[in-house]
Order: sequence, then C-alpha cells, then structure tokens
Amino acid sequence: MTGLSLKTTRKSYLSMFFCLVLLLVIFVLHVGVGSVYISPWDVVRAIANHPAEEYQRWIVWNLRLPRSLIAPVAGGMLGLAGAMIQALTRNPLAEPSLTGVTSGSILSLVIWLVFVPNVETRPVLLPLVALAGGIGAIVVVYSITNRLKDGPFVLVLKGIIVSAVLSSASSLFLVQNNDKLPTVMLWMIGSLNAKVWSDWSTLWPWAVLTLPLGLLCARTANIVQLGDDVAVGLGVHVQRARLLLFCVAALLTASAVSVVGAIGFIGLVGPHIARRIVGNNAFRAFPMSMLVSACLLLIADFVTQLAGLVFGDVASGIPVGAVTALFGAPFFLYLISKTRQ
Amino acid sequence: MASGTWHPKNMTAIVVAGSLVALLCLGIAAVMLGSPAFTPVQMWHILTTRGDNVNHLLVWQSRIPRFTLGALAGAMLAVAGVMLQDAMRNALAGPELLGVSSGSAAVMAAIIIFGLPIPFLLQPWLALLGGTLGGAMVVVASWGDRSHTRVILIGVAVSSLLNAVITTIVSLGQQDTISLFYNYLVGGLENRTWQQVLLVLPWLFALGLSYLLSNKLNVLQLGDDVAIGLGLKAAGLRIAVFLLAIALVAPIVAACGPIGYISLLSPHIARRLLKTHDTTRVMPVAALFGAVLLTGSDILARTVFSPVEVPVGVWTTLLGGPLLLIILGKRFGRSTP
Repeated sequence: MTGLSLKTTRKSYLSMFFCLVLLLVIFVLHVGVGSVYISPWDVVRAIANHPAEEYQRWIVWNLRLPRSLIAPVAGGMLGLAGAMIQALTRNPLAEPSLTGVTSGSILSLVIWLVFVPNVETRPVLLPLVALAGGIGAIVVVYSITNRLKDGPFVLVLKGIIVSAVLSSASSLFLVQNNDKLPTVMLWMIGSLNAKVWSDWSTLWPWAVLTLPLGLLCARTANIVQLGDDVAVGLGVHVQRARLLLFCVAALLTASAVSVVGAIGFIGLVGPHIARRIVGNNAFRAFPMSMLVSACLLLIADFVTQLAGLVFGDVASGIPVGAVTALFGAPFFLYLISKTRQ
Repeated sequence: MASGTWHPKNMTAIVVAGSLVALLCLGIAAVMLGSPAFTPVQMWHILTTRGDNVNHLLVWQSRIPRFTLGALAGAMLAVAGVMLQDAMRNALAGPELLGVSSGSAAVMAAIIIFGLPIPFLLQPWLALLGGTLGGAMVVVASWGDRSHTRVILIGVAVSSLLNAVITTIVSLGQQDTISLFYNYLVGGLENRTWQQVLLVLPWLFALGLSYLLSNKLNVLQLGDDVAIGLGLKAAGLRIAVFLLAIALVAPIVAACGPIGYISLLSPHIARRLLKTHDTTRVMPVAALFGAVLLTGSDILARTVFSPVEVPVGVWTTLLGGPLLLIILGKRFGRSTP
C-alpha cells in the first residue's frame, strides 16, 4: 500500500517536473516569437543580460517579457481557481467563467473604471474591486441554485445565464464611456495584447499572495471532496470550509481577470488534464492544475503570435480568449457528453 | 386538468387585441421619441404631409423602417422559438442557445468583414446555411439525449465555439472593431433602413408555413410514440420544423445580428397568459409578444442613454436573462434527478 502510494507520488512529482520543464521551453519560444524572431539561445542570452545583439536585449526586456510572464502566471491562477471550484462544487463542468465569477469581476471593474476618477493611478487595487464583483456573482448563482436538487448541468447553465446578464450590464455602462470601450471590450474577451511591465506589477503581488493561499487549501478541499457527511464526521465545519475555498478561488480569478480579462475555458481544461495525470488528491491535483493551465495559456498565446506571423500584422490582434474558446469549447462538449446527471 | 384551468374561449382574442394595441402604442412612441422628439401634432403633420426636410427623412427613412424591422424580427424570432420548443419538447430551446444564431452570425461576420462578393439578397441564404450547420452540430452532438439541460448546454458550448470564431474573424478586420463585435455577438437595430426590411420581407413566407404546421406541432408535443400512432412521420416533421425555424432566424441575424432571448421568452409569456400549450393559439400570440418585446426594448435602447445608443441585444439579455432563470428554477428545480 505504502509502496504503491510512494510510486504514485513519485510519478506525479515526475510529471510536475516535466510540466515545469515544458513551461520553461514554451516560455523561451514564446519570448522569441514575434515580428522580429529571436532564436531560443539568443533569448536565454538576452534574459541573462549577455545578448548577442544589443537590440535583442531591448526587445526581450521591453516588449516580450511582460507578456510572456503574465500569460503563465495568469493561466496558473485561473487553473488553480478552476481546480478549487471543481473540487468544492464536485462538478466537473464548473469553472470561473462558467459560474459567473469572471463576468462579475469584469462588471465591477467596469463600474470602477467608469465612476472613479483617476483610476489609472491605483492599478494595484483593481483585483480587490474585481473580487467584490466575483463574490457577488457567485453569491447570486448559488442563491438561485439548489445544490441538492439541481444536477451539474443546471448549476452551469444558471452560471452561464448570469454571466450573460452581467456582461450585458457591463456593456450598458460601457457604451456611455466610449473612450474606455476598446480596452474593456478586449477585457471582456480576454487578451494579452499590449501587456507592459505596469500590468505585471499589478499581477505579481497578488500572484505571490494568492497562489500559495490556494495551494494551502488543498487539505480542506480534499475533505470537502469527500462529501458533507464525511467532512462533518471528520470535524470540519463544511459551510465555513466551502466559503473559504470560494473566497480564495474568487480572489485568484479576480486578480487574473483584472489584468488579462475574461479568458475562458483555461480553468476548465487545465484541471481536467491535471487530474487525468496525477489523480484527484488535491495535494497533487492543485499544483499540477496550476502548471498545466500555465502551459495552456502560454501555448494559446503562442498560437495567437504565430497567427500574427502567418496572417501578417492584422492577425496579431486576435485576442487569446478567442483561441482558448476555440480549443476549450470542444473539450467542454466532450465533458458534457461524459457527465452523468 | 382542463376543467381546472378553464378559460373563456375569447381569452385569445383579448390577448391578441391587447398586444395589438400595445404594438400600436409602441409604434407611435417609436416615431415620436428620440432626438429630436416630436409632439403628437408635429408627428401627425409629418405623417400626413409629403416633404423632404430633415424631420420627414428622419421619420420615413429611419424611425419607421427601424420599427418595422424590429416588429418583424420580434415576430419571426418568437415563432421560431415556439416551433423549437414544441418540436424538441424543451422549454429552454431557442436559436440563441442552440447554436443557430451564432452559426448565422459567424457566416455574416465572414461575409461582411472579409468583403466576400455575395449579393445582398443572397446573404440570408448563407446565414441560413450557417445556422443550419450550427444547429446540426448541436443535434448531432446531443443525438438521443433525454436530458433537456444537457442538450441546451451542448448548444451553449457550440455557441461559444462559434462566438470564438466570430471574435477571430472580427479581429482580423481592421475597421471599427468594437461596433462590429456588438453587431455579430449581440445584435442591434442601429442604422437599419428599408434596405434591411426588404431583405427580411421575402422570408415572411416562413411565418405562414409555420402556422400551417402548428396543428402537427400539437401532436408532436404529445411525444413521438403518440405522434407516430396518429400517423405522423415524427422524425421528418421534426427536421422540417427545425429548418423552418432556422429559416425564420437566419434573415433576422443577417439583418440585425443575433438578438437573444426574444425567441426563448415570448412563447413562455404567451403560454402563461393563455394558459394553454395549444400551438395554434400560442404561435400568433407569441409572435405579437415578440414584436412588442423587441420594439419596446429598441425604444429603451435608443432613448435611455441618449444620445448614446445601447445595442438592443444588450437590453433583451438584461431583461430576458432573469426571466429565463425564473423559468429554469420552476421547471428544473424540482424535476431534475
């Protein structure tokens, strides 16, 4: 028994290590691709401040790195949030953008942008603003969902409808402020275009705070996954545990969304792949979900960059949210067909 | 059952008369409101005299065609909703949740943004093709599925896939991107003229055909076994109904974009008010409600945040989403195992 669990543990550490290596490889490739191609080796030299050519260091440090850093970190946060929401709703279809959290965050961000003057000076507050909306949305979805009677489909369907209503509300505030419209439209679809160091400085403090917080929830998540009866038997206050998990997941989502926007399906696909590899135990599934989702978002953004090269300048504006939906929606279909009510 | 919910036979007549009056009032409001707003006297003057000053042009070339298009679109969408809901026996069926609207919108986005040389009057046919493909994806993916929510969720997944295609197409274009996003993802009636009305007009034949089918839809509601027992070719009829519903939706998407929730909700309101599921009575009433809902929302869209216009699809979603949630709660809160 112990031998077996040791083996699975070692196997999952190995796959996590492999995932990390993969992440680094894609990262280097991602930095290298763009209107000026830089070979992987030159990328590494430029990052290490020993560039082959001075212009390469300038491109890498000023143009490419912020985007290449934001993509995996935001992806990891969305993936971890997805894994947490799936664990605590025990619903394989749950995901931040399918449960209303993402659109709620966007709505509160839009209201904040429209009504508060000089918001550009305090971008670090954005995740907190987004958090308020995200929690509000999840409260709405949960209050209209009957957990005992509704199947997994009804929860998601209600989440989707609430999301649609919240997005429409965002549009309502937006059309009155046309100068903010282009930015926020990309927010609503999810985009990594034109990310700069100031976006990174909004993201990283929250990533440092929330990612470990999410990973620490693994124990609680494991207990909640066992079902309410068992959890109570183990002396856990289920409602409180669930609330804690929800808040941390909403915070993860809100922080990511306030920088990259409503990128969908990453938080759905990542955790599923991760669980397929390392199993349901949250101690292993949470970090693995984080790593897989980080890889996925980086790959998706890599695809938008490649499309930019293939189709010329026009296509460099394809928002990464469109790519994740193109690949994520079929996966969602597959999950629906596998899920029993 | 029948004796418990007894209603005067002329209930339908009352509801029809009421919604016709409402539609007339909305028509008057649609002509009067906006900037500039007209007094009734001014409006009478404009409507009864000929001329080509700014006000005449505004009323005859902008407000009246827009109202006409809104009423036609609302009616056609609502009838499509009645047919889909009855044929699938699914209270949540509607073109916006079944991939039909998004399929049509994706085709339209491709035509307009890539500037494909398609004649204007041919565009609804291609939208029809796109809608059929979107709907067919959902039907194939959910073949033999007995869970209503699962079918709808499959439709939502297909719709979001097609919306991603639209987003990609729109970002490939370089023009005024934002309004294009709204055009193909939400739908609106901004800047629509007689041209779009003429585009939709020939497709009104589908409304007549739908009404001819309403008797058979009544039988279909009883279930396939009963329908076959009564000598109906259930599968063939269902396919015909699907195609007809898509033929109602496609020209609307081509002219106004994928305006949501009208076709989902109008049938429900009609059934609730008439207290019947009889399609022959529900269908015309739902059509009127669809017209009232859409033209009413469009007046909101034009006037509430004037001078800025909110795409009417935003309003229909805002108002329709909560209603849909209520239906979902009532229908599935209890019955889903």
